[in-house]
Amino acid sequence: MSAILFYVLAVVALLGAAGVILAKSPMGSVISLLGTFFALAVIYLLAGFQFLAAAQILVYAGAILVLFLFVIMLLNLGAMGSRFELSFAPLQSGRARLAAAIAMALALIGLVAAQRASLKALAEPAADAPALDSLRGIALELFGRYSLPFQAVSVLLLATMVAVIVLAKRQRAGEHGSGEGAQ
Amino acid sequence: MNVPTEHLLYLSAGLFALGVLGFMVRRNVIVVLMCVELMLNAANLAFLAAGRQHALEGKDGLQGPIFAIFVITVAAAEAAVGLALIIALYRLKQSAETDAAAEMKG
Repeated sequence: MSAILFYVLAVVALLGAAGVILAKSPMGSVISLLGTFFALAVIYLLAGFQFLAAAQILVYAGAILVLFLFVIMLLNLGAMGSRFELSFAPLQSGRARLAAAIAMALALIGLVAAQRASLKALAEPAADAPALDSLRGIALELFGRYSLPFQAVSVLLLATMVAVIVLAKRQRAGEHGSGEGAQ
Repeated sequence: MNVPTEHLLYLSAGLFALGVLGFMVRRNVIVVLMCVELMLNAANLAFLAAGRQHALEGKDGLQGPIFAIFVITVAAAEAAVGLALIIALYRLKQSAETDAAAEMKG
Protein backbone atom coordinates (compact mmCIF):
# COMPACT_ATOMS: atom_id res chain seq x y z
CA MET A 1 0.00 0.00 0.00
CA SER A 2 2.63 2.50 1.03
CA ALA A 3 4.77 1.32 -1.88
CA ILE A 4 1.98 2.25 -4.31
CA LEU A 5 1.68 5.61 -2.58
CA PHE A 6 5.42 6.10 -3.00
CA TYR A 7 5.26 5.53 -6.74
CA VAL A 8 2.28 7.86 -7.08
CA LEU A 9 4.11 10.52 -5.10
CA ALA A 10 7.26 9.98 -7.15
CA VAL A 11 5.28 10.67 -10.31
CA VAL A 12 3.76 13.75 -8.69
CA ALA A 13 7.22 15.00 -7.67
CA LEU A 14 8.60 14.49 -11.18
CA LEU A 15 5.59 16.18 -12.76
CA GLY A 16 6.03 19.10 -10.40
CA ALA A 17 9.68 19.34 -11.34
CA ALA A 18 8.73 19.31 -15.01
CA GLY A 19 6.15 21.99 -14.26
CA VAL A 20 8.85 24.22 -12.81
CA ILE A 21 10.60 24.16 -16.18
CA LEU A 22 7.53 24.32 -18.38
CA ALA A 23 5.49 26.92 -16.50
CA LYS A 24 4.92 30.11 -18.42
CA SER A 25 5.11 32.42 -15.43
CA PRO A 26 7.41 32.33 -12.37
CA MET A 27 4.26 32.05 -10.27
CA GLY A 28 3.37 28.78 -11.96
CA SER A 29 6.89 27.54 -11.32
CA VAL A 30 6.54 28.30 -7.62
CA ILE A 31 3.26 26.42 -7.39
CA SER A 32 4.75 23.41 -9.20
CA LEU A 33 7.75 23.49 -6.89
CA LEU A 34 5.37 23.55 -3.94
CA GLY A 35 3.75 20.36 -5.23
CA THR A 36 7.15 18.71 -5.59
CA PHE A 37 8.17 19.71 -2.07
CA PHE A 38 4.95 18.37 -0.56
CA ALA A 39 5.27 15.10 -2.46
CA LEU A 40 8.86 14.78 -1.24
CA ALA A 41 7.76 15.52 2.33
CA VAL A 42 5.23 12.69 2.19
CA ILE A 43 7.89 10.41 0.70
CA TYR A 44 10.17 11.27 3.64
CA LEU A 45 7.30 10.46 5.98
CA LEU A 46 6.72 7.11 4.26
CA ALA A 47 10.42 6.30 4.43
CA GLY A 48 10.36 6.90 8.18
CA PHE A 49 11.98 10.34 8.39
CA GLN A 50 9.33 12.18 10.33
CA PHE A 51 11.40 15.11 11.53
CA LEU A 52 12.81 15.69 8.06
CA ALA A 53 9.30 15.69 6.58
CA ALA A 54 8.26 18.38 9.04
CA ALA A 55 11.44 20.36 8.38
CA GLN A 56 10.89 20.05 4.63
CA ILE A 57 7.44 21.59 4.87
CA LEU A 58 8.42 24.23 7.41
CA VAL A 59 11.62 25.39 5.75
CA TYR A 60 10.96 24.85 2.06
CA ALA A 61 7.24 25.38 1.71
CA GLY A 62 6.99 27.74 4.65
CA ALA A 63 10.06 29.90 4.29
CA ILE A 64 11.90 29.52 0.98
CA LEU A 65 8.90 29.43 -1.33
CA VAL A 66 7.30 32.35 0.49
CA LEU A 67 10.56 34.23 -0.08
CA PHE A 68 10.34 33.38 -3.79
CA LEU A 69 6.73 34.52 -3.97
CA PHE A 70 7.66 37.68 -2.11
CA VAL A 71 10.37 38.56 -4.63
CA ILE A 72 8.18 37.70 -7.62
CA MET A 73 5.43 39.95 -6.35
CA LEU A 74 7.86 42.66 -5.26
CA LEU A 75 9.43 42.84 -8.71
CA ASN A 76 6.06 42.31 -10.40
CA LEU A 77 7.61 39.55 -12.48
CA GLY A 78 4.34 37.78 -13.02
CA ALA A 79 3.12 40.49 -15.34
CA MET A 80 6.32 41.92 -16.79
CA GLY A 81 10.06 41.47 -16.74
CA SER A 82 9.64 37.98 -18.14
CA ARG A 83 8.93 37.41 -21.77
CA PHE A 84 6.19 35.04 -20.70
CA GLU A 85 2.85 36.56 -19.99
CA LEU A 86 0.84 35.64 -16.94
CA SER A 87 -2.70 35.04 -18.02
CA PHE A 88 -5.63 34.43 -15.77
CA ALA A 89 -7.98 34.16 -18.73
CA PRO A 90 -8.59 30.40 -18.25
CA LEU A 91 -9.86 31.17 -14.77
CA GLN A 92 -12.43 33.64 -16.00
CA SER A 93 -14.97 31.25 -17.48
CA GLY A 94 -17.71 29.89 -15.27
CA ARG A 95 -16.95 26.28 -16.12
CA ALA A 96 -13.35 26.66 -14.96
CA ARG A 97 -14.57 28.19 -11.72
CA LEU A 98 -16.93 25.26 -11.22
CA ALA A 99 -14.08 22.82 -11.87
CA ALA A 100 -11.85 24.70 -9.43
CA ALA A 101 -14.58 24.61 -6.78
CA ILE A 102 -15.11 20.88 -7.29
CA ALA A 103 -11.36 20.28 -7.09
CA MET A 104 -11.17 22.25 -3.85
CA ALA A 105 -14.09 20.29 -2.39
CA LEU A 106 -12.47 16.99 -3.38
CA ALA A 107 -9.19 18.10 -1.84
CA LEU A 108 -11.00 19.02 1.37
CA ILE A 109 -12.75 15.64 1.48
CA GLY A 110 -9.44 13.90 0.84
CA LEU A 111 -7.80 15.90 3.61
CA VAL A 112 -10.51 14.94 6.11
CA ALA A 113 -10.35 11.29 5.03
CA ALA A 114 -6.56 11.29 5.31
CA GLN A 115 -6.80 12.78 8.78
CA ARG A 116 -9.29 10.14 9.86
CA ALA A 117 -7.09 7.41 8.42
CA SER A 118 -3.97 8.79 10.05
CA LEU A 119 -5.77 9.03 13.40
CA LYS A 120 -6.77 5.41 13.02
CA ALA A 121 -3.21 4.52 12.06
CA LEU A 122 -1.90 6.40 15.09
CA ALA A 123 -4.13 4.35 17.36
CA GLU A 124 -2.55 1.16 16.07
CA PRO A 125 1.08 0.40 16.85
CA ALA A 126 3.08 1.86 14.00
CA ALA A 127 5.11 -1.18 13.06
CA ASP A 128 5.24 -0.21 9.40
CA ALA A 129 7.30 2.95 9.62
CA PRO A 130 9.36 3.39 12.75
CA ALA A 131 11.00 6.77 12.94
CA LEU A 132 14.50 6.54 11.56
CA ASP A 133 15.33 10.04 12.75
CA SER A 134 14.38 10.31 16.38
CA LEU A 135 14.83 13.83 17.66
CA ARG A 136 16.87 12.52 20.57
CA GLY A 137 19.27 10.74 18.25
CA ILE A 138 19.55 13.75 15.94
CA ALA A 139 20.21 16.12 18.84
CA LEU A 140 22.85 13.85 20.35
CA GLU A 141 24.64 13.50 17.02
CA LEU A 142 24.26 17.16 16.06
CA PHE A 143 25.74 18.47 19.29
CA GLY A 144 28.16 15.59 19.71
CA ARG A 145 29.89 14.09 16.72
CA TYR A 146 28.72 16.72 14.22
CA SER A 147 29.18 19.80 16.35
CA LEU A 148 31.87 21.17 14.03
CA PRO A 149 29.67 21.15 10.89
CA PHE A 150 26.87 22.51 13.03
CA GLN A 151 29.01 25.47 14.04
CA ALA A 152 30.19 25.92 10.46
CA VAL A 153 26.57 26.11 9.32
CA SER A 154 25.85 28.61 12.09
CA VAL A 155 28.69 30.81 10.82
CA LEU A 156 27.32 30.38 7.30
CA LEU A 157 23.92 31.63 8.41
CA LEU A 158 25.51 34.62 10.14
CA ALA A 159 27.54 35.39 7.01
CA THR A 160 24.37 35.12 4.92
CA MET A 161 22.59 37.55 7.20
CA VAL A 162 25.43 40.06 6.96
CA ALA A 163 25.70 39.59 3.19
CA VAL A 164 22.01 40.23 2.61
CA ILE A 165 22.13 43.33 4.80
CA VAL A 166 25.15 44.63 2.90
CA LEU A 167 23.42 43.97 -0.44
CA ALA A 168 20.37 45.87 0.69
CA LYS A 169 22.30 48.67 2.31
CA ARG A 170 24.47 49.43 -0.70
CA GLN A 171 21.29 50.07 -2.62
CA ARG A 172 20.09 52.35 0.15
CA ALA A 173 23.36 54.30 0.00
CA GLY A 174 22.95 54.78 -3.76
CA GLU A 175 19.51 56.22 -3.28
CA HIS A 176 20.66 58.40 -0.43
CA GLY A 177 21.92 61.18 -2.67
CA SER A 178 18.51 61.85 -4.16
CA GLY A 179 16.51 61.34 -1.00
CA GLU A 180 18.51 63.39 1.45
CA GLY A 181 15.69 64.37 3.73
CA ALA A 182 14.38 60.81 4.12
CA GLN A 183 16.50 59.89 7.13
CA MET B 1 7.43 1.24 2.95
CA ASN B 2 9.13 -1.68 1.23
CA VAL B 3 10.48 0.20 -1.74
CA PRO B 4 14.02 -0.68 -2.79
CA THR B 5 16.60 2.01 -2.15
CA GLU B 6 17.44 2.06 -5.85
CA HIS B 7 14.01 3.46 -6.66
CA LEU B 8 14.50 6.31 -4.21
CA LEU B 9 17.81 7.00 -5.93
CA TYR B 10 16.15 6.86 -9.36
CA LEU B 11 13.67 9.48 -8.19
CA SER B 12 16.53 11.55 -6.84
CA ALA B 13 18.41 11.28 -10.13
CA GLY B 14 15.29 12.23 -12.09
CA LEU B 15 14.67 15.30 -9.97
CA PHE B 16 18.32 16.31 -10.25
CA ALA B 17 18.26 15.87 -14.02
CA LEU B 18 15.13 18.01 -14.31
CA GLY B 19 16.79 20.62 -12.12
CA VAL B 20 19.88 20.69 -14.34
CA LEU B 21 17.71 20.88 -17.44
CA GLY B 22 15.79 23.83 -16.08
CA PHE B 23 19.00 25.50 -14.97
CA MET B 24 20.29 25.26 -18.54
CA VAL B 25 17.11 26.06 -20.40
CA ARG B 26 15.31 28.79 -18.49
CA ARG B 27 16.31 32.42 -18.70
CA ASN B 28 14.37 33.86 -15.79
CA VAL B 29 16.80 34.12 -12.88
CA ILE B 30 14.13 33.27 -10.32
CA VAL B 31 13.25 30.05 -12.13
CA VAL B 32 16.96 29.24 -12.37
CA LEU B 33 17.22 29.64 -8.60
CA MET B 34 14.19 27.40 -8.17
CA CYS B 35 15.92 24.74 -10.25
CA VAL B 36 18.91 24.99 -7.90
CA GLU B 37 16.53 24.36 -5.01
CA LEU B 38 15.21 21.36 -6.91
CA MET B 39 18.72 19.96 -7.27
CA LEU B 40 19.38 20.45 -3.57
CA ASN B 41 16.18 18.58 -2.82
CA ALA B 42 17.30 15.72 -5.03
CA ALA B 43 20.56 15.60 -3.08
CA ASN B 44 18.52 15.54 0.13
CA LEU B 45 16.51 12.61 -1.12
CA ALA B 46 19.73 10.75 -1.96
CA PHE B 47 21.07 11.42 1.54
CA LEU B 48 17.88 10.11 3.09
CA ALA B 49 17.84 7.05 0.84
CA ALA B 50 21.39 6.26 1.93
CA GLY B 51 20.47 6.82 5.57
CA ARG B 52 17.48 4.54 5.25
CA GLN B 53 19.61 1.85 3.62
CA HIS B 54 22.10 2.14 6.47
CA ALA B 55 19.31 1.83 9.02
CA LEU B 56 17.90 -1.20 7.22
CA GLU B 57 21.31 -2.83 7.38
CA GLY B 58 21.46 -2.16 11.10
CA LYS B 59 24.19 0.46 10.85
CA ASP B 60 24.13 4.05 12.03
CA GLY B 61 21.29 5.54 9.98
CA LEU B 62 21.44 9.06 11.40
CA GLN B 63 24.17 10.41 9.13
CA GLY B 64 21.73 10.76 6.23
CA PRO B 65 19.13 12.87 8.05
CA ILE B 66 21.78 15.00 9.75
CA PHE B 67 23.41 15.93 6.47
CA ALA B 68 19.97 16.51 4.98
CA ILE B 69 19.42 19.07 7.75
CA PHE B 70 22.69 20.75 6.77
CA VAL B 71 21.61 20.78 3.13
CA ILE B 72 18.28 22.37 4.06
CA THR B 73 20.15 25.08 5.99
CA VAL B 74 22.48 25.75 3.08
CA ALA B 75 19.50 25.89 0.72
CA ALA B 76 17.82 28.49 2.90
CA ALA B 77 20.98 30.62 2.99
CA GLU B 78 21.42 30.23 -0.77
CA ALA B 79 17.85 31.29 -1.45
CA ALA B 80 18.21 34.39 0.73
CA VAL B 81 21.43 35.55 -0.93
CA GLY B 82 20.24 34.61 -4.41
CA LEU B 83 17.00 36.52 -4.09
CA ALA B 84 18.84 39.55 -2.69
CA LEU B 85 21.11 39.41 -5.74
CA ILE B 86 18.09 39.13 -8.02
CA ILE B 87 16.58 42.24 -6.48
CA ALA B 88 19.89 44.08 -6.89
CA LEU B 89 20.10 42.91 -10.54
CA TYR B 90 16.54 43.99 -11.17
CA ARG B 91 17.16 47.44 -9.74
CA LEU B 92 20.28 47.77 -11.87
CA LYS B 93 18.96 46.38 -15.17
CA GLN B 94 15.17 46.51 -14.81
CA SER B 95 15.14 42.88 -15.84
CA ALA B 96 15.31 39.45 -14.27
CA GLU B 97 16.72 37.64 -17.28
CA THR B 98 20.07 35.93 -17.27
CA ASP B 99 20.94 37.77 -20.48
CA ALA B 100 20.68 41.09 -18.68
CA ALA B 101 23.91 40.44 -16.78
CA ALA B 102 26.25 39.50 -19.61
CA GLU B 103 29.00 42.09 -19.26
CA MET B 104 31.59 39.54 -18.21
CA LYS B 105 31.02 37.27 -21.18
CA GLY B 106 34.21 38.58 -22.78
